[in-house]
Amino acid sequence: MPEAGRLEEPSDIKSLLKKLSAGAQYRRMMAAHEEGQPICVASAGIPSEILYAMGVYPIYPESLAAIAAGIGKAQEFFDLARERGYSPSICSYARCGLAFSWVNRCAFGPIPEPDIFIGDTNLCCLHVTWWAYLREQFEKPTFFVDLPATDDPQDPNYVDYYEEQIHEMVKFIEANTPCVFRMEKLKETVRNSDRAGHYWKSIMQLRKNKPSPASFRTLAGEILPLVTALGIQEAADFYQLLYQSYGGLVKEGKTLAKGVEKYRLIWDGIPIWHHLQVIDYFETKGANFVWEPYTSLNWGNLNPAGRLDPEKPFRTLAEKYTNVKINLPLEKKFRFYDQAIPEYRVDGVVMFSNRSCRPNSIGQDELIAMIKEKYDLPVLILEGDQADAEGFNMQDARTRIDGFLEVLEARQS
Amino acid sequence: MACFYGLVPKEIIHAAGMVPLQLIEDRDPRYEGQSGLLPYLCGMSKSLTGQIYSRVFAYVDGVMVATVCDTNRRVFDIWAHKKLFPHCLLVRLPSTATELAVKFYAEEFRRLARELERISGVAVTEERLRGAIAQFNENRELLRRFYDALPESGIAGAEAIHVFAAALVTPVEEHNVLLRQLLGSLDASAKMEGKTKLMLCALNLNMSLEVVRLAEKYGAAVVTNDFTHNARYGSDPIPLAGDPFEDLARGYLGRVPAPGVYPFEARAGYIRERMQKAGAQGMIYLIQLYCDAYAMEYAMLKERFDRWNLKHLKLEAEDTPSSIEPLNVRVQSFVESLL
Repeated sequence: MPEAGRLEEPSDIKSLLKKLSAGAQYRRMMAAHEEGQPICVASAGIPSEILYAMGVYPIYPESLAAIAAGIGKAQEFFDLARERGYSPSICSYARCGLAFSWVNRCAFGPIPEPDIFIGDTNLCCLHVTWWAYLREQFEKPTFFVDLPATDDPQDPNYVDYYEEQIHEMVKFIEANTPCVFRMEKLKETVRNSDRAGHYWKSIMQLRKNKPSPASFRTLAGEILPLVTALGIQEAADFYQLLYQSYGGLVKEGKTLAKGVEKYRLIWDGIPIWHHLQVIDYFETKGANFVWEPYTSLNWGNLNPAGRLDPEKPFRTLAEKYTNVKINLPLEKKFRFYDQAIPEYRVDGVVMFSNRSCRPNSIGQDELIAMIKEKYDLPVLILEGDQADAEGFNMQDARTRIDGFLEVLEARQS
Repeated sequence: MACFYGLVPKEIIHAAGMVPLQLIEDRDPRYEGQSGLLPYLCGMSKSLTGQIYSRVFAYVDGVMVATVCDTNRRVFDIWAHKKLFPHCLLVRLPSTATELAVKFYAEEFRRLARELERISGVAVTEERLRGAIAQFNENRELLRRFYDALPESGIAGAEAIHVFAAALVTPVEEHNVLLRQLLGSLDASAKMEGKTKLMLCALNLNMSLEVVRLAEKYGAAVVTNDFTHNARYGSDPIPLAGDPFEDLARGYLGRVPAPGVYPFEARAGYIRERMQKAGAQGMIYLIQLYCDAYAMEYAMLKERFDRWNLKHLKLEAEDTPSSIEPLNVRVQSFVESLL
């Protein structure tokens, strides 16, 4: 695999980030629609490399919901969901995403009428219900990529099933849009995806340095193209440059985290999108997050081999999209912590008990028990929701964080 | 073999010479407290986990889980991690009903059969599987006849729930005998004169019994019901056409409307059809608090219920007497509104 990638001319990170930011991607979507490019409402776990290879523009409601929460514009959508009888106990991404579909609008503005829908169970079971609803509401062609529950995602029979579905997905797109599949285009998007994933993983490795060059707050925004633009060259170029930039910070012994790094922490769970300043607060007190399953295990090259093989694109994508965290039993999940804690020199763990995300939150207590048994690390549990700020109180969170940091301080002394 | 939840292929368990036993929630609040699970999870998973810790199911040889619910799926991880059962089997259940999914699921059933054979020592032959499917098909047919006869049978709503629930914990041959006896004894002329007829859609059996009693207190009769267990297990017979593993896969996928997986139009239509068949004037849709699947399904079905002017009442509560009690007024108002 070429380490240097296909970068031919020097490029600027900021200008690339401008093209890949949430706002930019929204404008791209509108432009794509104006140009007649088919629009697909896609769930975040499907093989987006196929979409980009075939010229279909994806929009991801979960991502739009997270962004809406991040910029403080999600409440109107939650209110709309409540008016329609959706219980607040339902995942906030789903409530927000459904509301987008009722008003054909997101936090940035109108959403064009989609042409096709592709959903899956890669992230959670609720996605099936969600996309089934969208299918009936919009009466547009809908495809489901099935990922049955398993605790052995590397079973060849299981990967075969997923691979066959990717072929079916291609046929579905060809049957329902003017787009035509070309193998060379798919190899190109897989190459781009691999390069992006490789450099992202390399950035994660840089965080083993002390201080870690990255701030989890910044990474939470920088991860966006890995979710929504995987397969396009700009995303690959961006992560390559980002890696070089972080590498420079390592050489200088600098960090983007606020404050001076005194404690190194793990964050378990999705970021609290509506209150990312929680991360800032940790950082100002000298606590830097250096590893998260969200950044290290959820996105990018998830293949057991760690790299994608563009010469076998269907198989490599099947191996990537089946080898996901939700398919791992607790013992296998713990092994990642078991590796990360010593390698990243972790001092403590923060678990975000997210009522919207059962796949992430259930089992956290058991992971805590395993971590404490082997490492005796202090653990702080913060409760809330990923996108719905109802019930979350920043002052309460600060108080709990302060108490946790006192424990870390005492241990260091 | 304990089963959690309604999608477990009980026919395979039966063919392996084992008795499938559905795990059922218990009203004792100590179980939820003992579960150690997160407060925002459904009471069913907490009750079952608490019962397991209390060794209520110490006699079973294993548990098989087939679910489309994230909570159930992750709670299985905890059970497996803590080795709470001698054997923990996770069914790789597809969420679609394509031919590809059927082929995959048939192979999955063969894999499960081999696992069960190792436990029971009984080979799951095609002949044994066909026999098991026939037994469960007979049970489905008898339950269908029971529900057809229910509105004019004189059987109270709570008793009807017990008849259905017994199917979940009784060996199928025995339940078939009991059902045949029951059907033979029904008085087809026992009409529910003067009573407002209702349908109940629910998951939790204990809560359902409470709500049925509330409805009866105010002069209604619950003449039909739809439980997730029943909707997925008890509704449609499995046609036998050739390879029984493939027939079973085809039977379990895409045939039965239930929360989370299948087209809402079909699901809503199924409810409406059951109501019409039973002469139900209204429907109570009972959601156990923190059950995402039911809560989300309800909101989606509501659009159709409203469009069809299908009178219904949504109730959402925990499985505790203190949570059910406040529902009195709402049930009373609903029943009176149907008069």
